Amino acid sequence: MIQMILTGLLCGALLGFVMQRGRFCLTGGFRDMFLTKDNRMFYALLIAIAIQSIGVYTLIHVGVFEFNAGTLPIIAVIIGSFIFGIGIIFAGGCATGTWYRAGEGLIGSWIALAGYMLMAAVMKSGVLLPLDTAVKEVQLENNSIAATLGVNIWILVGIFGLAVGFIVYRTLRKPKVKIPGLKPKRTGLAHILFEKRWHPFVTAILVGLIAILAWPLSVATGRISGLGITTPSANILQYLVTGELSFINWGVFLVLGIFLGSLFAAKMSGEFRFRLPDLRTTIHSFSGGLMMGFGAALAGGCSIGNGLVMTAMMTWQGWISLAFMILGTWTASYFVYVRPRKKAKQTTHAVPA
Amino acid sequence: MKKTLEVMGMVCPFPLVEAKEAIKDIQSGDELEVQFDCTQGTESIPRWAAEAGHEVTAYEQLGEAAWTITIKKK
Repeated sequence: MIQMILTGLLCGALLGFVMQRGRFCLTGGFRDMFLTKDNRMFYALLIAIAIQSIGVYTLIHVGVFEFNAGTLPIIAVIIGSFIFGIGIIFAGGCATGTWYRAGEGLIGSWIALAGYMLMAAVMKSGVLLPLDTAVKEVQLENNSIAATLGVNIWILVGIFGLAVGFIVYRTLRKPKVKIPGLKPKRTGLAHILFEKRWHPFVTAILVGLIAILAWPLSVATGRISGLGITTPSANILQYLVTGELSFINWGVFLVLGIFLGSLFAAKMSGEFRFRLPDLRTTIHSFSGGLMMGFGAALAGGCSIGNGLVMTAMMTWQGWISLAFMILGTWTASYFVYVRPRKKAKQTTHAVPA
Repeated sequence: MKKTLEVMGMVCPFPLVEAKEAIKDIQSGDELEVQFDCTQGTESIPRWAAEAGHEVTAYEQLGEAAWTITIKKK
C-alpha cells in the first residue's frame, strides 16, 4: 500500500509538473489543428507516443511484464471518443488537462472534474452500467494492429518511430519566428524549472518518458497498465461513497499526484490563483465534464488512456479513438468558436449604415 | 493610440480569440494591451503576435497568475 501511494503520487506529480510547465494541452492542440491549421501539439503527442511505444515494448520484450491487447469494442470506442472530444472543448481541457488546471486554481476545472468523475462512475458502476455493457457487446476479435496485419510488433513500432522522426526533422527545419518571452527574473535551475518557456517537443519527450515509467511502477502494484485517468478518477468517487477499499489502486494516486505536481509547479512559478469563471463558462465546464466522463468511460479511455497509451501499444482502440476524439473537438470547435463569430458578423452587416 | 483589452477570468482560448478580434479595430502602428490570467495564454498570445508579424512592445507578469502584453499592430 505504501509503495502504491508513493510511486503513484511520484509518477503523477512528475506528469502534473511537466504538463503545467510545458503547457501540454491536448484539447488546445486538437482544436488548433482545426482553427489555425497548427499541428505542433499533435506532433508533440506523436513524439510522446513513439517514445513510450519503444520503451514499453522493450520492457515487454525483456520480460518485465506481459501485455494483451484484448478485443475491440468498436462501436463504444467510436461513439465514446467522439462525445469525449466534444466534452473536452466545452470543459476547456481534457481529463488530464482538467486535473492539472485544477492545480492552477481554476474553479471551472474543479467543476468540470466533478462532472467528469460523477458521469464516469455512473457509467462504470451506476445506473448507466447496462447501457455501457450493451454498447460494448459489439466486439471485434483483434485489437492488436500487428495481429490483424500479421506482422511483428517491432515492424509497426519501427515504421511509426521513423515517420515521427521525419515529421520532427521537417518541423524543426522550418524557419522560426522568435517568440517574445517574459524578462527572466531567475537564473540557473530555478529559471529552467519555474520560468523558462519549454519547447512542446521537449515537453513531449518528458511526457513519453513518464509514460514508460508508469508501466513498471503500476505493474509492481498489480495493475497491469500504464497512465490512465478516467477509471482512477471514477474510483475516487466510488471509494468515497462506498468506503470499499477495492476501488483504491495505483491510478488513484497517479491522478492525485497530477493535481499536486501541477499545484507545486504553479505555486513556484507564480501561476497559482483561485479563479472564478463566469456563469456561461461554469455551465460549459460542468456539461463538458459530464460528456467527458460519459465518453471516456464508453470508449475505455480518455486522451491519455486511449490517445497516448493505447496508441503506443499499437492497438486499433487507441488509434480509432484518437481519430474520433479529434473529430469531436473539431465539431465542437465549429459550434463554440467559428459559428458564433460568423453570426455576429452577419448581424453587424445586416444593420444599415 | 493604445487600446486596452481586459480579459481577466476568461479561459483559453478566448483571450486569444478576443485579442485577434480587437486588433482588427485598431490602426497600423497603434498598440493593443491585453491583460489576461489564463496560463496557456502566456504561450499562445505572444506566439500569435510573432507569427502574425506584430511587434510585442511590452510583456510582463503583473502578479500571481496575471499578465499584460502590449502588441503594436504591423
